[in-house]
Amino acid sequence: MIGISPVSVSHYLVVGAVLFVVGAICMATKRNALGVLMGVELVLNGANLNFIAFGSKYLRAESLGLDGQLIALFVIVLAAAEAAVALAIALNFYNNHATIDVDQASELKG
Amino acid sequence: MDPGHSISMLLGWAVVLPLCSFFVILVFGPRMGKAGEHAASLATAAIALASVLSFISLAIWLTSHRPSGASHGEAHALLVSPDASIVVRGQDPHEEGHTTAEPHSESHETEHHGEHASGDHAGVPIHYTNDFSAPGIGGPWVLGEFGSLRLSISYYIDSLTVCMFCMVTFIATLIHVYAMGYMHDELHDWTDPEVTLSNGEKLHRPGRYHRFFQYLSLFCFSMLGLVIAGNIAMVFVFWELVGVCSYFLIGFYVERKSASNAANKAFIVNRVGDFGMILGLLALWTGLGTFSFGDYDYVDSDGEKQAQIGIFTQVREAQSLVHGDGHGENRRMAAPDGMVRWTAKSEIASMVHDHQGLFDNDAEAIAATDAEAAFRTTDWRKNGYGYGLLILAGVGIFCGCVGKSAQFPLHVWLPDAMEGPTPVSALVHSATMVAAGVYLVGRFYPVFTPEVLLIIAIAGVITLFMAATIAITATDIKRVLAYSTVSQLGYMMMALGVGGWLAGMMHLITHAFFKSLLFMGSGSVIHAVHTNEMSEMGGLRKKMPVTAYTMLVGCLAIAGAGVPFIMSLLATGGNHEMLKGLGFSGFYSKDAILEQAYSFMQANDSAFAGVFFLAAAGGAAITAFYMFRMWYLTFAGEPRNQERYDHAHESPPTMYAPLIILSVMAIGVAWSPLQGLVAGSIATLVFLGLFIRCQLGHKAQHAEVEHVAHHDHADDHHHDDHGHDHGHADEHHHHDALPAWLSRLPLALSAVVLGVALIWTIGGFGDITLAGLLGQANPTNDLVGIEGVWLEGWTWPAVHEAHEPNVVVIASIVAIGTAFTGFFLATAMYGLGYLDPAEVRAQFQPVYRFLLNKWWFDELYDLVFIRPTHVVSGWISGIDRNCIDRLIDGLAATVRRFSNFWAWFADGKIVDGFIDGLAAKTFALGLSLRAVQTGRIRQYVMFIVIGAVAIFILISFFWNPTLAG
Amino acid sequence: MLLAAFDWHSLFFMFFALLTCGFAVAMLFSDNVVHMAFYLILSLGASAGLFFLAGAEFVGAMQLMIYVGGTLVLLIFGVMLTAQSRFISMKTRSGEWVMALVLGGSLLFLLLTAAFRVEDWRDGNPNAADIGIAESKTTTQIGMGFTGVRVDRLDAPEDSTLVPGMSGYLLPFVIVSVHLLVVLVGAAYMARTKRRATSTGAAA
Repeated sequence: MIGISPVSVSHYLVVGAVLFVVGAICMATKRNALGVLMGVELVLNGANLNFIAFGSKYLRAESLGLDGQLIALFVIVLAAAEAAVALAIALNFYNNHATIDVDQASELKG
Repeated sequence: MDPGHSISMLLGWAVVLPLCSFFVILVFGPRMGKAGEHAASLATAAIALASVLSFISLAIWLTSHRPSGASHGEAHALLVSPDASIVVRGQDPHEEGHTTAEPHSESHETEHHGEHASGDHAGVPIHYTNDFSAPGIGGPWVLGEFGSLRLSISYYIDSLTVCMFCMVTFIATLIHVYAMGYMHDELHDWTDPEVTLSNGEKLHRPGRYHRFFQYLSLFCFSMLGLVIAGNIAMVFVFWELVGVCSYFLIGFYVERKSASNAANKAFIVNRVGDFGMILGLLALWTGLGTFSFGDYDYVDSDGEKQAQIGIFTQVREAQSLVHGDGHGENRRMAAPDGMVRWTAKSEIASMVHDHQGLFDNDAEAIAATDAEAAFRTTDWRKNGYGYGLLILAGVGIFCGCVGKSAQFPLHVWLPDAMEGPTPVSALVHSATMVAAGVYLVGRFYPVFTPEVLLIIAIAGVITLFMAATIAITATDIKRVLAYSTVSQLGYMMMALGVGGWLAGMMHLITHAFFKSLLFMGSGSVIHAVHTNEMSEMGGLRKKMPVTAYTMLVGCLAIAGAGVPFIMSLLATGGNHEMLKGLGFSGFYSKDAILEQAYSFMQANDSAFAGVFFLAAAGGAAITAFYMFRMWYLTFAGEPRNQERYDHAHESPPTMYAPLIILSVMAIGVAWSPLQGLVAGSIATLVFLGLFIRCQLGHKAQHAEVEHVAHHDHADDHHHDDHGHDHGHADEHHHHDALPAWLSRLPLALSAVVLGVALIWTIGGFGDITLAGLLGQANPTNDLVGIEGVWLEGWTWPAVHEAHEPNVVVIASIVAIGTAFTGFFLATAMYGLGYLDPAEVRAQFQPVYRFLLNKWWFDELYDLVFIRPTHVVSGWISGIDRNCIDRLIDGLAATVRRFSNFWAWFADGKIVDGFIDGLAAKTFALGLSLRAVQTGRIRQYVMFIVIGAVAIFILISFFWNPTLAG
Repeated sequence: MLLAAFDWHSLFFMFFALLTCGFAVAMLFSDNVVHMAFYLILSLGASAGLFFLAGAEFVGAMQLMIYVGGTLVLLIFGVMLTAQSRFISMKTRSGEWVMALVLGGSLLFLLLTAAFRVEDWRDGNPNAADIGIAESKTTTQIGMGFTGVRVDRLDAPEDSTLVPGMSGYLLPFVIVSVHLLVVLVGAAYMARTKRRATSTGAAA
């Protein structure tokens, strides 16, 4: 069965979609600020997987080529930057509120 | 330099000097010494210098235009007498060459003189004696051109101008000197006793010494400018300047209600007259197209030399056109071409219409129209075209003069003008303001038609009689003089109106001298006793002899005292002039007026014409009466207010010195040298004798002196002066109060007069008299009797007819008779007390009240003009309030109501409603969306997911697989 | 033989995909934040394997180095700094779980349908076996791509979009590097300890 259907872009997209959705649900359900951050990392990773899939010559004859990998690299770098800033925010939040529960931070309530 | 040019230069400077003084005082006034005291010196110096210049120009005039001594009595003889020197001068090639460069030079006159002379020899009748290009005509310095109208500054100088200049500047100089003394109160802060402030205190204000002299300078400038003006527009400008100066000066004590009212009254009443004057100006411009009096050449815009024909020449040409020689028969005035054509403009328009298309070009058509119009002008004139316009012009100009000279309908301002300081009254009443009106009538005399002359005469006669009667009852010393002025102005106007140009102008000059004398005398009295009421005075002669006797001279002069026919005893020839007799200056001018009026009565054999003579004669009696009444009430008898009497004192020399000088002028200004010689000799001898006797202490001779003095007291005032003086020898002590030299003054003056008369006679100037000088400018010499066009049967007699012996004898007798009647009546009532004035007053109670209330003129005007005006104003304001205002208010209310509605509806409901609704909706939406903003990050993530799902769903609806490529 | 019978590519894909998804789901359902961090590391590491399988060796290496070696270390530092006992595991209300799962499920459904919708994506590259492995075993192409030269596309000079200097990623690369620098400075600034604020805040 496996041999019959070689790995295609769609397979990768499925994995990306699962990662994306899990990340999103993670963001929506984790009360810990770091948990939310982790959800973000998952979402980004899911998106990265898609870029890689579309840029892979092994999965598709007419691929994006090197562009997919380049953009994936940018995403990784941006994710690192985002993680650094988000962690700083989380620590700041923790310093100011003495908690890491994002539900406690409702200053933006309208 | 030729005489005409020098005269114009000198007089021009005489005009400008007071203006300079005015500006300097205007700018530096308050800084000129303490309280501006040097302003007086400056103003006086300016006018004195102007006076000197005027007299120099008079001398130049006399040497270059020597008048004939025969004066108007032998008008035609004067004109035709070949004056060798002038003719020779006129033929001098050098003079000719010089005059070509000077348009207003002698050459015209000399030529005309020569022409007339030769014309007379050839038996050709003379049309007119005065060629109006002959006098000094200068300028014009054009200010602006409006069509044919050229507004310019120009001058017109003839002997009248020169005489007026001398008179105005001389009197003004004396008044300046007098005012330096009179106005000294203004040198420091001053409390006006007649102004009570609301807090009950008297007004205390800083002195306005410099301002007074500033106005005086402007006044003199205006009057001189008016006299020298060469066109009627310029006259009008100075006319208004005179008016505004009188406004300033009458209202000098502006804090006094009465003074400001009087100033307003003078100004407004004058405006009424000036309205007529403007009409006259318009008529003149319409008909004649120029404002200039005389002819002059000018260079037009094309660079060509053009001749501007002045008003006078245009009028004259019309006369000579119609009447040909016009010599020896009565003539009619005629309208000049311009006025005729203006009136016939509809005919000319139709003519132009007819000519259209008949000619090749416009120039030919215009030429043809001109020719036909010129041809038909004679017919039109015969049909009376343009004559109405000429009358309108005359009446209009006279209206201005009525206002300025305070004639009958508009005389009300002059007595009120007494509110100004007395020097101002003297100036206004003698030399400047009121003289301007008479001067203008005299200047414009050629333009006046018989109809206008009759109006002038009627206005004059009403004025003279009415004002004289009012003066009888006045108790305010200045008011007596004011009505006297009005009356004398009436005399002048009447004289002008009945054809006596020379008489009127002479009276203007002589009156200026004795009226300024009288006013300054009254000012001196007021200065001494601090009241105007004669009932508070009396007996002041002893306190202030100089004032008293100089004023007596004035009274005698205005009454026309003199001895008629006496000169004929001395005269060697049978000259009619010698019928004149010997008297004060007023004697000559008043005689001339009466002669003219009598001559007029004779020429027009109607009762109406006789009114003029009778009124003039009656006026003469009344004049003498009220003048002596004033003198007696003021100076004679017992003091009626002892307190005021005790405080009275003679005025300072700056005030009485002008009085003395003016009194000499008031006596002798109208004399010929022979009269001066006779009177001077008599006076010198008499005063010499008196002086010696006084020195020797022969006071027992007083009775004899008195006898002599009374015998011919009218001869000479010094004589008379001393006569009275010694007549009251028991009160002789007042001499001690005065400087010793004053007792010798009459002698010194008499000697001076004698000396002048001697030089006058011996120096070969025997033919120079005031009458002769003025006669040079006389525009009526040519009038051989004229008739009106609309006034059938009225004749204005020729001037020389007034000098027929039968006229002169009767007029002289009547004149002196009436004068003495008035004098005796006054003496009987007030001087000697034979008649009790109170009884007379009670007897004529209604008349007295009528006169006391000044003929109810103010009340009449109040009733006729002011009240109706108020009523009409009330109506109009009622219409304004009830109709217009209500309409406007209603409109406004409607608009406001509509606006309110519209604001409520459009603004409130639609615009605001929309905006408010939008805001409310946005707010509600915000509120509802606010619930979404929970502030929870995880919910936001949820929303993001929802959004992503929604986008995917949406995309899946519109998904096109081909896009994926 | 037996080994040859296997499609190793598919096998390893399945392996790594299951690992990735499994640890992700494990992370999702873990309450303990420390466990979550651990599962995340595993999940991301497994996804790096997927990158290798797709031929993106350099990206996969970066994934391991930056993510697993850098970012997640940061996260773990954060976890350790805030890992007080009451914050280690925080329960979420079940209503939110249901809500999130429903939404996540629907999103997943949509994504999956989208993933299999396109024909071209469903079929793999039949010639994948022909592609030489050595062809892409250097980072030269990527490095040149970052510096603006696309050596991988030298065969398409007719493409007008590949104008030299405009076809690479030099500018984004510079921007990202500056961005990183700024982020690091900002993170250091924000995360520094504010003792006074904390003490006053606690006192208050």
